[in-house]
This record gives sequence, structure tokens and C-alpha cells, in this order.
Amino acid sequence: MNHTVDMRVRLGSLELRNPVVTASGTFASGREYAGFVELERLGAIVTKGVSLHPWAGNASPRIAETASGMLNSIGLQNPGVEAFCASDLVWLATRDVPVIVNISGHSVAEYVAVAERLEAEAVVSALEVNISCPNVDEGGMAFGTSRSAAAEVTRAVRSATRKPLIVKLTPNVTDITEIARAVEAEGADGVSLINTLLGMAIDTDTFHPKLARAVGGLSGPAVKPVAVRMVWQVASAVSIPVIGMGGIATAEDAVEFMLAGATAVAVGTANFVDPTATMRITEGLEAFCLKRGIGRVAELTGAVRL
Amino acid sequence: MTCGSDGGLERMLLERVTVLGNERVTEGVGLVVLEAPRVARGVRPGQFVHLRIAEGRDFILRRPFSVHRASGERLEILYQVLGVGTRALSLAERGEEMDLIGPLGHGWEMPDTLSHALLVCGGLGSAPMGMLAIELAEKGVAVTVAQGASTAGRLVARELFADVARRHEIATDDGSAGERGFVTALVEPLVAQDRPDIVYVCGPEPMERIVAAQAATAGVPCQVSLERLMGCGIGACLSCVVSTVHGQKRACVDGPVFNAEEVLWASAEIPPKY
Ligand SMILES: Cc1cc2nc3c(=O)[nH]c(=O)nc-3n(C[C@H](O)[C@H](O)[C@H](O)COP(=O)(O)OP(=O)(O)OC[C@H]3O[C@@H](n4cnc5c(N)ncnc54)[C@H](O)[C@@H]3O)c2cc1C
Ligand SMILES: Cc1cc2nc3c(=O)[nH]c(=O)nc-3n(C[C@H](O)[C@H](O)[C@H](O)COP(=O)(O)O)c2cc1C
Ligand code: FES
Repeated sequence: MNHTVDMRVRLGSLELRNPVVTASGTFASGREYAGFVELERLGAIVTKGVSLHPWAGNASPRIAETASGMLNSIGLQNPGVEAFCASDLVWLATRDVPVIVNISGHSVAEYVAVAERLEAEAVVSALEVNISCPNVDEGGMAFGTSRSAAAEVTRAVRSATRKPLIVKLTPNVTDITEIARAVEAEGADGVSLINTLLGMAIDTDTFHPKLARAVGGLSGPAVKPVAVRMVWQVASAVSIPVIGMGGIATAEDAVEFMLAGATAVAVGTANFVDPTATMRITEGLEAFCLKRGIGRVAELTGAVRL
Repeated sequence: MTCGSDGGLERMLLERVTVLGNERVTEGVGLVVLEAPRVARGVRPGQFVHLRIAEGRDFILRRPFSVHRASGERLEILYQVLGVGTRALSLAERGEEMDLIGPLGHGWEMPDTLSHALLVCGGLGSAPMGMLAIELAEKGVAVTVAQGASTAGRLVARELFADVARRHEIATDDGSAGERGFVTALVEPLVAQDRPDIVYVCGPEPMERIVAAQAATAGVPCQVSLERLMGCGIGACLSCVVSTVHGQKRACVDGPVFNAEEVLWASAEIPPKY
């Protein structure tokens, strides 16, 4: 019987102290959560998406609650990479936690420029390339829904960075494994999935869509079975590590993603419901392993019995 | 202007709370009293809490509510029953537990130099004004309240205002109490007669906008409490942005109270519900 669990996991050359990371855009850069979470106990902080220039984001309303989930159309509002480095990264440098920066662009050149700007920042442990945001008109998800465009962005960013490179995939495709294989072939060190599912909700009093942008991305427990299925498919199709996410709210949810093939898991919408969710899930995951006599959490990865 | 309450970022907490009472105030409006020792002690007028009404039901997000009053370990929330969350809240019984994050946001500014304040509220806009009226009166500030509602029965917190305000003017749409018409019609004469050094306003956004313009015309500083749909409530998700002359601000941490002259009203977004 084990009395401790080795919670470490590897994403390529990056070692995390445990598999639980934050999902981009739900945790900002962590500062807002510092009163609720011991940031040093996170596997990593994955930051809100950052672009070359400041982006204003979309009109309001930007969120709508739906059954067991929510739609968002924030639209990657961010102050641009320069301001991000001057403020968020300076603050993150004072915390002992790996930082994965989520990057966005309207064009391949913009993705590359952001990656280049971050290359010299020692505090950045890895990049997560968002080719899956459903909430911007140019770029965003367009790069993630075509095999060739996904490959092109990955190739370009790969040549601009020596940091571990994770590509974040959209579920809004017919065959996600095609895209995963394409980015693996271009040198991605890992893939993360799922980003939000494109959705819509309409107010029956006013006949207006509930989001100003009409459509937005669905997240939360409602998407979990879709996400688990996609993680399982992708993990079976590639040999690079997978970061699984989509509706994780409990330790059992995290276990489920790992059994499906995830090496690490990200917690998103659950942070809004319970700001301590990441801690609760990390502790629960360790307790789960102890109870089941699992010595290394990494043993869960892909352990689904078919 | 000095700041009556700072952003509260350092002091916000997640607290398990117990329902001490929950009663109907009028048709579709309830008052819930929560035992929330830590948050009740720290909250300032105009701040809010992000309440997790029920676990394990099919709605997942918290709901933001202003603190109507706080005393000792108790928080009072005045709520209008609108949808699934507030309906669940209306069914909460004494002894039931929930949790909340608070105190949140930037509340009403109460400069030390104030001698006369005008509080303008429409409908449930009186919710965040209870504590404000009480604290101002305690500080010796002369409080005038202009309160509007559709009908007399919906003048929520009427007794509280009657108690602490030096002057309490009322307007109802149907004329069943006070003047017939909108509360905005009361504002101009009150500003002229009482010469307040500040106007506080909370209500449907179109009404807030009119009062802000009236205050600006009279050269009186004006503070407005704004509502936005909120995800996290603590500044992380950017669901709740308000367009201001200083760029996009987050209602949950930079607000919900803003200086009216900073707000770019074209951004009005929530359909008026109360
Ligand atoms: C800072 C702040 C303070 C508030 N104070 C009070 C108060 O003291 N008393 C009170 O009755 N109401 C208050 N509200 C509004 C209150 O949050 C909503 O009425 C409530 O969330 C509605 O939830 P529901 O599930 O009943 O409605 P639904 O329509 O079913 O809610 C669906 C979603 O929309 C959101 N939502 C709907 N209407 C509003 C709204 N007007 N503002 C913000 N979110 C909304 C809900 O939170 C939920 O996420 C406040 C809002 C804010 C932002
Ligand atoms: C409000 C909000 C903002 C988000 N912003 C980003 C973002 O900037 N970049 C990104 O790659 N994903 C973003 N996402 C997607 C999440 O990182 C995650 O992939 C998705 O929400 C599914 O996980 P969840 O169900 O645990 O939230 C956002 C999600 C939400 C709800
Ligand atoms: S509600 Fe999340 S930033 Fe304001």
C-alpha cells in the first residue's frame, strides 16, 4: 500500500508537479485567484490568450448561462503582448509556478511575432497556441479547422520558439485526429483540447440572441462527454502528450480525462463556480490514487479498459 | 474624491453561509438574511456578493447580489425573482447552507466632506442603497431619497428610507403613492432645492443615464451602480466589461459603482429587468 503518490507528469521537456493546470481565459494570470488558491500548488498557470496588439474583445452581453454550462464570446480581449510582459509576466516571475502562455493571432505572422516576443522571457515555460477560438472573426478557429492552416501556424511558431509548444485544438471539426496529427507532424510537443463548442442561445422574450455576437463557445459540465471522447480519440492517434479539458469540475472528472489518455488536465469554467476548484481537484486526484493504490498519477493516463 | 471602499481584492473571501430567514417582501421580491460573519464584517455600501445558490442543480453559475444591509454577522439581500437562480433562492429555507464570495467590487464613494446626498433609486435599485443611506445618516450627512416604482406596493425598502432620510420623495407609475410618473421627474427640483453635493443612483440603466445627465447639468458629481452579466465576479473572465472614458473596465472589480461621467452609456447592455 502506497502512502504517497508521485503526482509529477511530463509534457515533453516540461515537468509539472501535478497534472492540474488552469484553462486559458478562466483564470487570467492567476492574480485574481491568489486569495483562493495556492498558486504554487498548481501544475501550471495557463494564461488568458495574448495577441501582438491589444484586442478590445466583443460587444456585451458576452456570456449566457445554459443547462450545465455557459456560452461565452469574450473575444480574446487582451492588452497585447507588450503590456502582458510588463505587467502579468513581471508578477508571475515572483511566483514559483510554471507559466504556459496562450497565444493568438489574426495571421500566421502575428502568432510568430507573439512567440518571438516571449522567447526571451525566462518565466514562460511553454506556449499554448490557440488555433481554436470561436469568438474572433479573422484567425482564431479558422486556423484550427483546416489541416493545412493548423500545420502552417504550428510550423511557423515552431521555428520561432525553442520552448515547449502546445497546440490547442477546437472540437468544431469533423475529425479532430486529423488536425492533431498535422500539428504533431510539424513539431508540436503536445496538444490541448477541447476549446469551446460553438453554440447559440436565444431569449424567447426579446427574440434576440443572448450573446451580442449571436454565437459563442459552450463550456462547463455540458461539454464533458464530448471532450472525453475527443481526448480519447486524439490520445489514440498521436504520441505527444494531451492536455484534456472541458467541463472538469471534480477529481473524478479529472481521472476520467486521464483514463481517456490525457497526461494533464485543465480546469476552466469550474473556477467561476468554485474559485478553489483547482485545489479541490488536485487533492481529490491524489486521494483517488492513494485509495486505489496507484503510486504514480501518470499511470492513469490511457488506462481506460476497453 | 476619497474612496469609501477600495476594490476589496485582498479582502474578498469564500464563505460558507447559513440562511437565517427568507421572506416575501412584495410580489416577486424577497429578502434573505444570511449568517456570514466574515463577509458581513468587511462589506462596504455598494459592494456585492457572488452567491452560489444551490449545488448540483442544472444551473452552475453564481449570481451577483448587492448587500442591502449588514449588521454584525448578518447580511441582507433584497432580490427580485426573475429566473431559475432567484427562484431557487426564493425557496431557500432557514438553516439551509450556501456559499458566497465577497465582499466584492468597488462600492459607493463617500467623501468625508459630504454634507448633503441625494439617493435616486428605481425599482430594486433600492437594494444597494440601504446600507448607504444608513451609513450616510450615521455620519451626519443629510440624506434625501427619491424613490420610484411601478406601484406603491413595490416601493421596496420604503420604511428604511423613511426612517433614515431627512427627506423621502416618491414617484409611482400609477400614482398609487407620491407623484404619478417617473422618479427622474423628481430629480431636477430636488437638486435645485436641496443642493446635494453628490447624487447616487441605481436602477434600470436608461433611468441611471437620465439622472446622470441631470446631475451633470447641475454640476453635481454622480455615482452609478451598474449591472453586467458576471462569470467569475473577481476580475478574471472579462464577462462584465463597461466602456468608460478610461477604456474597458470590469464591473465586478472596478465597479459596480462608477463615476457617472466616466461611463460611455452607449454600452448599455442588460435589458431592463428591474
Ligand atoms: C453587481 C450586481 C448587483 C446586483 N444586485 C442585485 C440585488 O441586490 N437584487 C437583485 O434582485 N438583483 C441584483 N442583481 C441582478 C441579479 O444578479 C440577477 O437578477 C440574477 O442574477 C438573475 O438570476 P436568475 O437565475 O434568477 O435569472 P436568469 O435570467 O435565469 O439568469 C441567467 C443568467 O443571467 C444572469 N443575469 C440575469 N439577469 C441579470 C442581471 N440583471 N444582472 C446580472 N446578471 C443577470 C444570471 O446571473 C445568470 O447567469 C445584481 C447584479 C449585479 C451585476
Ligand atoms: C470565459 C472564457 C474565456 C476563455 N478564453 C480562452 C482563451 O483566451 N484562450 C483559449 O485558448 N481558450 C479560452 N477559453 C476556453 C477554455 O480554456 C477551455 O478550453 C474551455 O472552456 C473548456 O473547458 P471548461 O469546460 O473547463 O471551461 C475560454 C473559456 C471561457 C469560459
Ligand atoms: S465577472 Fe469575471 S471579470 Fe467581471
